[in-house]
Amino acid sequence: MDVLLQQLFNGLTIGSVYSLVALGLTLVYGILHIPNFAHGALYMVGAYITYTIMTSLGLHYLLSILTSIIAVGMISVLMERLVFHPLKDSTPIQHKVAAIGMLLFLESFAQLIWGADYQQMETPFGQVIDFFGLTVTMQRLIIVITAVVAMILLYLFLKKTFTGATIIAMAQNREGAHLVGINTNKVAMLTFFISGVLAALGASLTSPINLVFPSMGHLVILKAFVIIIIGGMGSIPGAILGGYIIGFSESIGATYISSDYSDIISFALLVIILTIKPQGIFSKGGV
Amino acid sequence: MLDLKNVSVKYGNFTAIKDINIRVDKGEIVVLLGANGAGKSTTFRTISGLKTPFKGNVLLEDDLIDNKPPDKIVKQGIVQCAEDRKLFPEMSVQENMMMGAYIHRKKKNKIKQTLKEVYKLFPVLYEKRKNPAGSLSGGQQQMLAIGRALMSKPKLMLLDEPSIGLAPLIVEQMFESIKQINKEGTTILLAEQNAHAALSIADKGYVYENGNIVVEGSSKELFANEEVRKAYIGA
Ligand SMILES: Nc1ncnc2c1ncn2[C@@H]1O[C@H](COP(=O)(O)OP(=O)(O)O)[C@@H](O)[C@H]1O
Ligand SMILES: [Mg+2]
Repeated sequence: MDVLLQQLFNGLTIGSVYSLVALGLTLVYGILHIPNFAHGALYMVGAYITYTIMTSLGLHYLLSILTSIIAVGMISVLMERLVFHPLKDSTPIQHKVAAIGMLLFLESFAQLIWGADYQQMETPFGQVIDFFGLTVTMQRLIIVITAVVAMILLYLFLKKTFTGATIIAMAQNREGAHLVGINTNKVAMLTFFISGVLAALGASLTSPINLVFPSMGHLVILKAFVIIIIGGMGSIPGAILGGYIIGFSESIGATYISSDYSDIISFALLVIILTIKPQGIFSKGGV
Repeated sequence: MLDLKNVSVKYGNFTAIKDINIRVDKGEIVVLLGANGAGKSTTFRTISGLKTPFKGNVLLEDDLIDNKPPDKIVKQGIVQCAEDRKLFPEMSVQENMMMGAYIHRKKKNKIKQTLKEVYKLFPVLYEKRKNPAGSLSGGQQQMLAIGRALMSKPKLMLLDEPSIGLAPLIVEQMFESIKQINKEGTTILLAEQNAHAALSIADKGYVYENGNIVVEGSSKELFANEEVRKAYIGA
């Protein structure tokens, strides 16, 4: 029983990070109508920026995260302006090529600056605490709490403010958004900003329990794709639920099947869920 | 109020409308008639700033608007209910209405007031306010599109074929509502294939053929025009 609870908590931790990354991916899908392959690179850059600020400026972990999420948000906006915006009248395949180009560019860039070595990110929250009878590290608790708070704030922003609602509106009908007087350029930039913030937040939270390296985004982004396909492309509740489904299945699979197979589990789930519900769990575009 | 002067618009190399001249005065209902593909929607897209004319000018109260982006044009008081309604299908009816008031988002009290007025005009929207827009019937979706447009408190409303795909009884109600909206002070430019119903509420009209305006005149004149009767009214 204890092992199960422990694994459920681990699932909650990984699931929180997956949900954050998948949310950013699904929001940008509403703007580009393609999955942004460069999203995993933003995730990786987010981890490196946090790491660099901590090691070279000596700022506190949380303060470094704050700086990093703003920086990556801005890099993401820059990417929208310089790469995707000029392509707005072109075909989806051109968007895909551009996104892959950005991914390769950012990865080589990281390799150039930080090298190919694995880096270990320190955390001031390494202590082990007793949490309702479970033995967990403070870091994992912080991952869960921060992610959940970020998701609640995002939900309130999208649902309760005019500015947030423009993101949903543009995803559901771009011309309709034009016709009610929404400046869709601003919405696109805002969406990319939020998506960059979420990627950097997810990466910075999980780095102390994983490692930082140039290709660290690959597996995560692959899983985020699986998540938004399972949850329904563009669906916000789908991204959250999908993130936790994958997180829980992986951690439970690792215990009861084998930890060697934990990465395969998400893809197996993809096949199973799409066989039952080919459109994903949620249809596209809702909150 | 609105003037189109020698407006030509292209899609790639194809000229969809040529040298169009249209004038809409404050308080009027003006109708654009014409078969499918004649160029009515292109005219609307151009006025709304979704297309830039390749030649000619669009003026709103002597202000050039043909190079302005769509959101600026809504702010200047021109709103469009497009042919395919362009609702936000998974938002509720009320959320769609609220998005219609986007340009007035800082004036919460004014929005509440307008919302009340629109619900009074279309009580069925109030009944369905919590339902997703995509779940409404065709007629209700059209009402929502008009309601959402009214939420921006426009000076001029462009209505692109509001009767398309609706049952005759609903069409009649729709035209009643349009007349009512006009009476309450909104100028209306209407595109229609249903010439009879449209001309019976309009002040004047323009007849499109293959991207050109071939006949124009008051509703009476168009009703009396032999060719118009044959082609669009069928009597
Ligand atoms: N996006 C587009 N690309 C190319 N041609 C178009 C496009 N939209 C409309 N057209 C063409 O422009 C002409 C006018 O169309 P439209 O303005 O939609 O007419 P109407 O609204 O009167 O039915 C038609 O020949 C149509 O095929
Ligand atoms: Mg049309």
